Amino acid sequence: MELHEDKSARWFIYASVVFFLVTISIGLIMAIKFIAPDFLGGFGPLSFGRIRAIHTNGVLFGWLLAADMGLCFYIVPRLAGVKLYSEKLGLATLGLWVVIILGAVVTLASGDTQGKEYLELDSVLDVLVTIAWVMFAVNMFATIAKRKYEHMYASLWYIMGTLLWTAVLWIVGNLPVYSGVNDANVNWWFGHNAVGLIFTPVGLAIAYYFIPKATGNALYSHKLSIIGFWTIAFLYIWTGAHHIIFGPVPTWLQTVAILFSVSLLIPVWTAVTNFYGTLRGKWAQGNYVVKFFLAGTTFYLLTCFQGPMHSLRTVNQIVSKTDWIIGHAHMALLGGFSFFAIGGIYYALPKILKRPLYSEKMAEWHFWLTFIGFLGFAISLWVGGFLQGLQWMDYTISFLDTVKSMFPYYMVRMFSGILIVTAQLMFAFNVLKTARGGNSSIQPSIA
Amino acid sequence: MKLEAKAVLLIVVVAVFMFLGSYVTMVMPLTDPNLYVPTKDAKPYTELEMRGRQVYQREGCMYCHTQQVRNLLEETQRYGMGEEETYKRFGIRALIQAPPSQPGEYVYDSPHFLGTRRVGPDLARVGGKYDNSWHINHLRDPRSTSPGSLMPAYTWLFDKAGQPTGEAIALVAYLQKLGTNIKWREEGVEQAKKLQALNGTSTTNPPATERKDAQ
Repeated sequence: MELHEDKSARWFIYASVVFFLVTISIGLIMAIKFIAPDFLGGFGPLSFGRIRAIHTNGVLFGWLLAADMGLCFYIVPRLAGVKLYSEKLGLATLGLWVVIILGAVVTLASGDTQGKEYLELDSVLDVLVTIAWVMFAVNMFATIAKRKYEHMYASLWYIMGTLLWTAVLWIVGNLPVYSGVNDANVNWWFGHNAVGLIFTPVGLAIAYYFIPKATGNALYSHKLSIIGFWTIAFLYIWTGAHHIIFGPVPTWLQTVAILFSVSLLIPVWTAVTNFYGTLRGKWAQGNYVVKFFLAGTTFYLLTCFQGPMHSLRTVNQIVSKTDWIIGHAHMALLGGFSFFAIGGIYYALPKILKRPLYSEKMAEWHFWLTFIGFLGFAISLWVGGFLQGLQWMDYTISFLDTVKSMFPYYMVRMFSGILIVTAQLMFAFNVLKTARGGNSSIQPSIA
Repeated sequence: MKLEAKAVLLIVVVAVFMFLGSYVTMVMPLTDPNLYVPTKDAKPYTELEMRGRQVYQREGCMYCHTQQVRNLLEETQRYGMGEEETYKRFGIRALIQAPPSQPGEYVYDSPHFLGTRRVGPDLARVGGKYDNSWHINHLRDPRSTSPGSLMPAYTWLFDKAGQPTGEAIALVAYLQKLGTNIKWREEGVEQAKKLQALNGTSTTNPPATERKDAQ
């Protein structure tokens, strides 16, 4: 069956893997700077304040969104039962995307930033992102419009939602018209929903597609997937102000954000119940693809349990502004959605290339190193961050003393970062070797 | 076709849901005067302060320093003035809490620098806490003024002779402006003096126990 060319899917995946390696390496440099603040010092473009934006934007747009787009190029034509509307348009989208990411690295390193988290990109790049997203959305919607199968599987719902939410969030969030605390409020309206209405729905679309494929089990419940979709659509958009609890915004706004944040347990538990239900019986014998989805589901559950709890005022008082939150954010984006994307890539790439993965053993190592590295990273920051938050509650402890108390946790975080980067080197190498192919008879088989 | 209609229905309902939540949590605050009317003493940034603000933005200072004293007792204490400071500068012993940040203090801020993470301390009330030379030394070599600090040395804000460039001077001017849209130091000291006169407490003895510098 040569229905699917998968050129756009393939090249988006390759690009995303390269960007992944680069941006997490920058993350490691940042972790080292917490041990040795003068590491790579004296040079503006490598200072923490500049590379932090490269790390976050690089991971969000260079790696995760690009990988997710690549997997959408794989999933949507298959669920529609037709060819992708246009491979040329897909490859043009990728070309533009690469220009945007390279442009982002150069501008952010030079200090050209709009200064708001996840909205840092220069306005010219903002326009290019908008154009690229429209090109992507046209390709997706046009493919869905000419679909052969009447029934629309959950993944298609979630992908269509992502296409719309991303466009509105990106355009409204980037309008240069806000100031004062409203600027902060809009920033977090965007920032929280960038996770909730971009990476969550597309990540779930990927999990909904690949978990049944990888396990050979039918989806546990279609009804749950639909309940999950509509509760995400209704609830997420209200929650942004939970980032400024106790801050200079009206109390009613904080309370609304808290109420809706706690309600988010509903869509999360519908998705997680569905994934665990679909993974039933495959926990033990699952290969690396299943492992990534199983661990990803678990991290998604945990991060989305933390989130509503953080929004509660008593918890927020302690953990907000500490490193706990850095651990939380990485559980969502690395532990959850990156694991889904990696699992999807490991499943899709051999199908696209019609040859087995270069090394399954390496993929198993990739999983375990990333898994252990992530746990070390997150747990050290949770413990250290929580203790620092408690110290901040006593004003007689000087701020510098609370900073010094973080040292052992920052050490663990750095070494965990080395594990994570090493694992992604194996990932990139494996993808490269698989892409370059060669004689399939020399494929190392896993016994 | 029935299913096309379903896809369109999905798009419409998704849009309505998004509008609802955005209207309440984003548009309503935008039209709330409490959030855009400046405080009594709020002043727009001078040209120099504005240049400093741009340096602050370019160097990503907001990733490690928040600018919001949250409405929590421990924060008003930590970011307020201790006895040592009030004695040195105003000749009285008093613990003067920093007022929690108010929306009216931020009206001239675009982009906002409220921040989400405190690798270093909050800066919402830092203006007037240290003198200019402290800030210059701190930017040149953070660990000379603040042992254990994780801040990078901003060597590119200094010339070869180690003198601050215009950018460093502008940045310090901006930092000294922070938190002064409420005259909390002056008003706090005045209030403490009145209170102490009323109670007949001495206002001039040095602090009995030297509190550790909270920031």
